[in-house]
Amino acid sequence: MTTPVFELKSVSAGYGDVQILTDVSIQVPANSIVTIVGPNGAGKSTILKSIYGIAKVTSGEINLHKLSGESIDVRATKPHHLADIGIAYVPQIDNIFPTLTVDENLDVGYKHNGGTPLQERKEKLYKQYPDLVIRKKDRAGTLSGGQRQMLALARALMSGPDILLLDEPSAGLAPALVDQLFDELVRINETGATILMVEQNARRALEISSYGYVLDMGKNRHEGPGKALAVDPEIVGIYFGKR
Amino acid sequence: MAEFVQLLFNGLVTGSILAMAAVGVSLVYGVLRLVNFAAGDFMTLGAFIAVFLSISKGLPLIFSVIVAILGICLLGLALDWLLWKRLRENKAGTLALFLVATGVALILRQSILMIFSSGSRKFAINETATFGFLGAQIATSQLIVLLLATSAIITLGLFMAKSTIGKDMRAFSDNASLAAVSGINVNKVVRYVWIINGILSALAGIFQGMVQGRFDSTMGWTLLLPIFAAVVLGTIGDAYGALLGGMTLGLVMEMSTWHIFFGGIPSSYKPVVAFATLGIVLLVKPEGLLGVKARSI
Repeated sequence: MTTPVFELKSVSAGYGDVQILTDVSIQVPANSIVTIVGPNGAGKSTILKSIYGIAKVTSGEINLHKLSGESIDVRATKPHHLADIGIAYVPQIDNIFPTLTVDENLDVGYKHNGGTPLQERKEKLYKQYPDLVIRKKDRAGTLSGGQRQMLALARALMSGPDILLLDEPSAGLAPALVDQLFDELVRINETGATILMVEQNARRALEISSYGYVLDMGKNRHEGPGKALAVDPEIVGIYFGKR
Repeated sequence: MAEFVQLLFNGLVTGSILAMAAVGVSLVYGVLRLVNFAAGDFMTLGAFIAVFLSISKGLPLIFSVIVAILGICLLGLALDWLLWKRLRENKAGTLALFLVATGVALILRQSILMIFSSGSRKFAINETATFGFLGAQIATSQLIVLLLATSAIITLGLFMAKSTIGKDMRAFSDNASLAAVSGINVNKVVRYVWIINGILSALAGIFQGMVQGRFDSTMGWTLLLPIFAAVVLGTIGDAYGALLGGMTLGLVMEMSTWHIFFGGIPSSYKPVVAFATLGIVLLVKPEGLLGVKARSI
């Protein structure tokens, strides 16, 4: 396997004295979609929180390997510098700035990673999201649920990230919008973005993923190509229920 | 007609001063979650510094105003370093911050008395000079204050709308945790908030002192309630809302003394009018004038 863009190597993490993750390893190859699934309380969200220093990492490594060949120790980077080094994060809820206009949401998301000027990157995103162009001057708080999620993704992409971290992107969306969202993630991925997401909607997420990890009790339990995991009878039975 | 023009004009003057002060309070609350109870005393101190330098020391007014502005900016930054930063780091709640701010307000007001001695102050301007306009008598000093306050507000509006730091500030005020993961520099935003608050409070205090004629150490304190009302009216934490709230309340407060309203409400009831307006607006639109109803996705 070639060097991944992003990796967690035997990471243990938790809150205070409570350890949630034990020796978790995740690898995200360039231009892939990697999904972490698992039952509630498995520690999925804690993985993202440990990257942002909200959960305390007690051992292990978190590394970002940029295409330029540069490797960055994420644990040694302050959370508010992660966007600068090329890690973008879309939280599950409250992932837009409601009183800023759509256009301003994109402006504040900008980082000059890779050197593309703000206007150029914004125009490219507006081409991808014609819905947002129409609402450009409106306050983001007035957008519909689906449009908000698109704006949240676009805001994150404004930083020109090497990797996009998504925390349960489909949570709370109406079923019709869920399909639209996953199609969108595939499209973003095809434009060259690397995605690591945590998802509750496991089967649907794994179907579009190049690789998936099943987490249980804070440990790696299974892993494999997304499509294979999505139909693996054992995993389907244990974790996803029969649907 | 003459009375209407007069009151409209007074309303615009009061409104622009309230608006400036309210934006400062709103920004500080939005970014720091701090209800700045000392906002009125920041204004008073600004006016006292300017009057002290221009009258007692005989320095040019414009120079005195600039020093007053710098002074209030520094005061904000110093208090942040001394108090608010430490309280933030210890995750102090809104109530704790509020109580400390009340203490700061009291200390500031008493310090003004100690340093500058009691008694009222006055800028060297002739507030009795007037000119006729559509039958009303408009004070020249008021017109100048209105023009200056309006330009300050427009500059501020453009800064908040167009500059990167203005957008960062509003983003931070909207959603602090998202701002942090988007890579917005918290410390820089906090510094700018205190600088903008300093400029606005000092100017608002000086303008209020000029319009009032004579003023004493309680000037800003008496304005605090209408300022807070303006902040809440315009949706708390929203800078544009605070501008709108300030202008609205200024106009409503002055207009309420017009004789067609029950023969004119006595001017000492202006704060009551302000709060009645606030109450009515919040009953109809609880999220404030510019608020967006929280909606689920």
